[in-house]
Amino acid sequence: MLVSTGEQNSGGAMEQVGDNIIHHVSNSDIHHPIFSLPHLFNIDMSVTKHVLMLWIVALTVGFVVILPIQRYVQQRRLIPTGLMNALEIVVSFVRDTIVKPNVGLKWVNSWAPLILTFLFFIFFANAIGMIPIFDVLGLVNRFVFHVPANDSHNFINGLLHGGPTATGNFNVTAALAIITFLSIIIAGTKAHGFIQHWKNLVPHGLPGFVYIILIPIEIIGMFVKPFALTMRLAANMTGGHIALLAILSFMAIFADMFQSVFAGLGVALISVPLAVAISGLEIIVIIVQAYVFTLLSAVFIGMAIKVHH
Amino acid sequence: MEVLHYLGAAIGLGLIVIGAGLGIGRLAAAAADGIARQPEATDQITGAVNLPLFLLEGVAILAEVFVLLIVLMK
Repeated sequence: MLVSTGEQNSGGAMEQVGDNIIHHVSNSDIHHPIFSLPHLFNIDMSVTKHVLMLWIVALTVGFVVILPIQRYVQQRRLIPTGLMNALEIVVSFVRDTIVKPNVGLKWVNSWAPLILTFLFFIFFANAIGMIPIFDVLGLVNRFVFHVPANDSHNFINGLLHGGPTATGNFNVTAALAIITFLSIIIAGTKAHGFIQHWKNLVPHGLPGFVYIILIPIEIIGMFVKPFALTMRLAANMTGGHIALLAILSFMAIFADMFQSVFAGLGVALISVPLAVAISGLEIIVIIVQAYVFTLLSAVFIGMAIKVHH
Repeated sequence: MEVLHYLGAAIGLGLIVIGAGLGIGRLAAAAADGIARQPEATDQITGAVNLPLFLLEGVAILAEVFVLLIVLMK
């Protein structure tokens, strides 16, 4: 945190800490991008921190998941070795306990690839957000290469702005949830036909006045599902990081309040172990949130396929 | 009035924690009860508990986001 506070020395410790926390979980400023790209259809296509993180996540998934599976499929004897063992456990777990009970035997092979893609992408995006690689790079940049923190032309200084968790951005999770939203419609259309899918939204054979209440509720529910998916993932990832930074910030706040270094050091005895514990909790949250997003996507897709009246 | 603003957000956060805690607590208690009575149905009980647990968590998180918005957009 010390690395990026160079330019904001005005105001009390409390305001500085608040700005710092928001700065560490939000995207970097579009006006100071990491790479500048031209405008396309009046949209600034410049690369900010979260876009860069999405690219890193995509590369990681490619190297850790796609390449071993390609190599495995091209083998003459289909016996998994090394990393493929772990991947096979995850893939068969997702297919047998998440997709198959929800979607049904007939549609397992059509929807398991999408659900697996969600799982791997969200898991890697969450996990890379917990690795403090950019802060280490910033420390090396500041204290080994002696680049001042306010040098805005330095590449690594540009990387320090914004948080590293791409799934902590509501836009990223909204894009993922829109994919789920469209796949719900596609799943219902493929299983029952286009018109029958929309008819299936409400159970038939009810008295007329019930439909006046039921149809708006079902239409709202159609949009609430992806909205809840968006909020759950992004808020969980942001919330954990805010809690971690707030607890570490107690050191700065107490040192400033009592105007003494020893107050800060004393609080560090409590807040550093607490931060370690919350980091452990965050590692659980990373796995659980990737699981939850995939499970709920499978449940919603399954609800469009298995309609119960 | 500035203080009341933060006070409202803090009370809201407390209410969220009470509600979510009660909900998750009841769910976990019922699941533990069921597993203790019928250990062979553990997998089914865990599966049935997972989904409402995550939906409940989603509602709590949504409420927390709105509290955060109240504080940020004063």
